[in-house]
Amino acid sequence: MEPQAKRRKEMDKCDTWDVLPVLSDEKSRDTELLPAYAAPIIEKRETSRLVKELSLIYPLPGLQHIKRVRACKDKSSPHPLEVIVCLARDVAKGVMPADLLRSQSFDSSGLGEPFLVEIPANPPLTRPQFEKASKHWPTSFHEDKQVTSALRGQLFTADQKAKMQDYMTAAVQAAKSGREMGMDAVGAVIVDPESEQIVAVGHDCKRGAQPLHHAVMVCIDLVACGQGGGAYNYEKYPACQFSSSDFFRNGCNSKETGQPYICTGYDLYVTREPCVMCAMALVHSRINRVFYGAPSADGALGTKYKIHCQKDLNHRFEVFKAVMLNACEALHKK
Amino acid sequence: MILIDMQTDRFDPEKSEFLQPSESEIQTWMSKAFDMGIEALENGEVPVGCLMVYNNEIIGKGRNEVNETKNATRHAEMVALDQVLDWCRVREKDPKEVCEQTVLYVTVEPCIMCAAALRLLYIPLVVYGCKNERFGGCGSVLDISSDHLPHTGTTFKCIAGNRAEEAVEMLKTFYKQENPNAPKPKVRKDLVSPPGGAVVIQVNQGPQH
Repeated sequence: MEPQAKRRKEMDKCDTWDVLPVLSDEKSRDTELLPAYAAPIIEKRETSRLVKELSLIYPLPGLQHIKRVRACKDKSSPHPLEVIVCLARDVAKGVMPADLLRSQSFDSSGLGEPFLVEIPANPPLTRPQFEKASKHWPTSFHEDKQVTSALRGQLFTADQKAKMQDYMTAAVQAAKSGREMGMDAVGAVIVDPESEQIVAVGHDCKRGAQPLHHAVMVCIDLVACGQGGGAYNYEKYPACQFSSSDFFRNGCNSKETGQPYICTGYDLYVTREPCVMCAMALVHSRINRVFYGAPSADGALGTKYKIHCQKDLNHRFEVFKAVMLNACEALHKK
Repeated sequence: MILIDMQTDRFDPEKSEFLQPSESEIQTWMSKAFDMGIEALENGEVPVGCLMVYNNEIIGKGRNEVNETKNATRHAEMVALDQVLDWCRVREKDPKEVCEQTVLYVTVEPCIMCAAALRLLYIPLVVYGCKNERFGGCGSVLDISSDHLPHTGTTFKCIAGNRAEEAVEMLKTFYKQENPNAPKPKVRKDLVSPPGGAVVIQVNQGPQH
């Protein structure tokens, strides 16, 4: 293994790239807002009674993330607190905001005139969503620190990124070998992150008689070959390789499981975002994580679908994109 | 009784001319697919029968080969598609031209991966038995058969619901008979032994819980 200092130096020479998480739609969508009526709390000591009574008359079902009361940001405000009265859609037609409180059978003393606000419709799941939502109305937020640091591009250390670069470089090399044989320039590498060993390297082998031999499908089958299975022979493709699972059985870190099982626990590095077939093949193969370089037009791990976080499927995994983006994109330029 | 999918309406009638199989053709081929499913069941394998028919001839036949290949993508449809490609190679026929006139008969709705593979090879029509609620790519989980994916081959039409109850029964029988075998948690975690390991994958492939 190369000394770390040398690795870092090499990395500096390369294009800088970020590892960006491909999050579910719920985690990446914009803040959706609901119109609601709020009112200033003029008598502060009435607050707890008002909140209790308003929650009874106007519960906010499905909006548990909304804080009913907010402090006025503006210090010069004559009242320190504001409370949500109800959602605008709960107000009957023809009822004026000012009538809202009077028409109810509750003691509205201590409340000022209602006014319109917009409140976040969904609980924020990421820090950026939380920050956007909070501009409109305060919400609760259970922060997933890993997602926060992933979104900042800080999830991985420089050493981890250097390893990623090694793996993706191997995938780029495989893509180039495939291209020399007239294939699409797509390469893939499957890695055991525990042993940090490359388990299989493959490239697109579509040309000729195997139109379904996308790089990822090839790589999955190469892993199977290494486990004593496999459906195809890759003798014609010297750049398609696998390491035998004997290594893992004899390896010092041989897991409790003894033998590896399909792609459980393994990471995939692929130069281009997988298509639907390949993405679902990765679900079936129980891949651990996927790192890809360039997006693809019908891509199924972010572009057209997010199969890795598709509801109803029995296996989910994390996906990161933009690893060595420039080098991966360059593969498809003449 | 055959339930025609919504997608039928969107299908180009010109293209479908040659492959509007008659009711009796459908019954014939589906009954062959079911025979394959039953045979698989009797051999302790996932009871999915699948065949590809071109010009009234079976040019591809498949059963699940996940366990012997240790490759979780070797579903019956993928195996059958490989046979179709071999059939074309031996006869020096253009795979696209052949596939464009080939119908898939399968006892269970193809999964998302298989649906994409069928698109990539330009298979225009799939006749299937029961829905695959857990993995189905023809409307159950995703609708790969008809979604707009300009870089993923062509859309295909589905004729669903042919002998659906029977297909479900077959799968249920399979899982029931495997259940007593369902190994102790430890073996399950180990995922090693072929018969036990088989269950771990296959249970998840069934459309039924």
